[in-house]
Amino acid sequence: MNPFPKTASATRRRLRFVVPGVVLLVAACASTPPIPATNLQAAQQAIANAERVDAGTHAAAELSEARVKLSSAQQAVNEKKMIAGEQFADEARAEAELAAARSGAVKAIAVNDDIKHSTATLVEEMQRKTGGTP
Amino acid sequence: MNFANYPFSRTLIGVAVAASVFIGCASTPKKPIGSEQVRAKLTALQGEPALANRAPVAIKDAEVAVREAEIPQKDLVLAAHRVYIADRKVDTARALAETRSAEEARTALNEQSEKARLDSRTREADVAKSDAVVARADSAAQRLAANESEQDAAELRRQLEILQAKPTDRGLVLTLGDTLFATGRSELKSGATANLDRVTAFMNEYPKRTAAIEGFTDSMGSEEMNQSLSQRRADAVKSYLVGQGVGSARLSSSGRGENGPVADNESAAGRQQNRRVEVVISPIADDGTN
Repeated sequence: MNPFPKTASATRRRLRFVVPGVVLLVAACASTPPIPATNLQAAQQAIANAERVDAGTHAAAELSEARVKLSSAQQAVNEKKMIAGEQFADEARAEAELAAARSGAVKAIAVNDDIKHSTATLVEEMQRKTGGTP
Repeated sequence: MNFANYPFSRTLIGVAVAASVFIGCASTPKKPIGSEQVRAKLTALQGEPALANRAPVAIKDAEVAVREAEIPQKDLVLAAHRVYIADRKVDTARALAETRSAEEARTALNEQSEKARLDSRTREADVAKSDAVVARADSAAQRLAANESEQDAAELRRQLEILQAKPTDRGLVLTLGDTLFATGRSELKSGATANLDRVTAFMNEYPKRTAAIEGFTDSMGSEEMNQSLSQRRADAVKSYLVGQGVGSARLSSSGRGENGPVADNESAAGRQQNRRVEVVISPIADDGTN
């Protein structure tokens, strides 16, 4: 005894829903995703910003990797691999933002070290001039 | 064992099987590779009080990225991408926190630096002030010394006026008249030494000065005798001064005889002027000392 008796009409009713669904799915896969222009632009801006804050000097490795990622993104886009292009672009941006942040940190710490050094020099000079601490 | 007799146990087995299937399904998706390390980095950053509160927005951003990276993902490329992004965001948050921390510390450093600079200036000013005090004292001393030497000079002038000394290119010339000696004699008359006592006082007052004592005569009598007489009279004056305490090394005596008349030898008045003893006091020393 069949617990799920199927009739021909029932099968047709189901197909009416399934077929358009499959067609839609195929159509979605076949259509190329758009170029991740916004992501690429954001990555370029982030790299330019990192360059502006001297990441080339203070975070050279990060900035260099950001550039490599951006060029990978552009290459992927050229090869119509838009998902990969988007991911590379986002990675380039994250890397460039890290480069800028590290450059900022290095500079901020260097400025503090300069101040410490000049203060120490001043105190030393003062002690030499006036002979000892007060 | 007849299962049919135990319907309840059959249900139990079914439930157990179903449960194990569900558990199996639930445990299959694992956290993406690397996401745990990223989580650990974020936790470490959040655990540093010096940094955790310094970049709250970036840390929150990193937290979102890490959570996303932890979502089980069949697409391994996407999983790795999310881990990459999360990792960079955690590092970025740390760098921003370090920057902020350094900037906050700078305020204190600048204050220290400013304080040191102020201290330095204050001390320099103090040193300059004490230098100035010393300098003022010096110049005061110099003025005092100048005053003293002015007073000395005034006193000297006064003394020389008393002696009626005349400044000449040979020095101060003090002329002692013929009243010191009897005619033809070379012994000092008693009671005629008042002028000589003033010379003594002067020489004692100005111990660096020296004096040349020169005897002169008129042209009466033989030249030899006059020369000899003038020498003896000069010697007599020198002896007297030495006797009064003037060092003999500071005194020289010479007889000039008839030479160097200051007046006409034809008249009695002129001859009287020519008979004399001159005390030539050396000019003031180059170093200004007396």
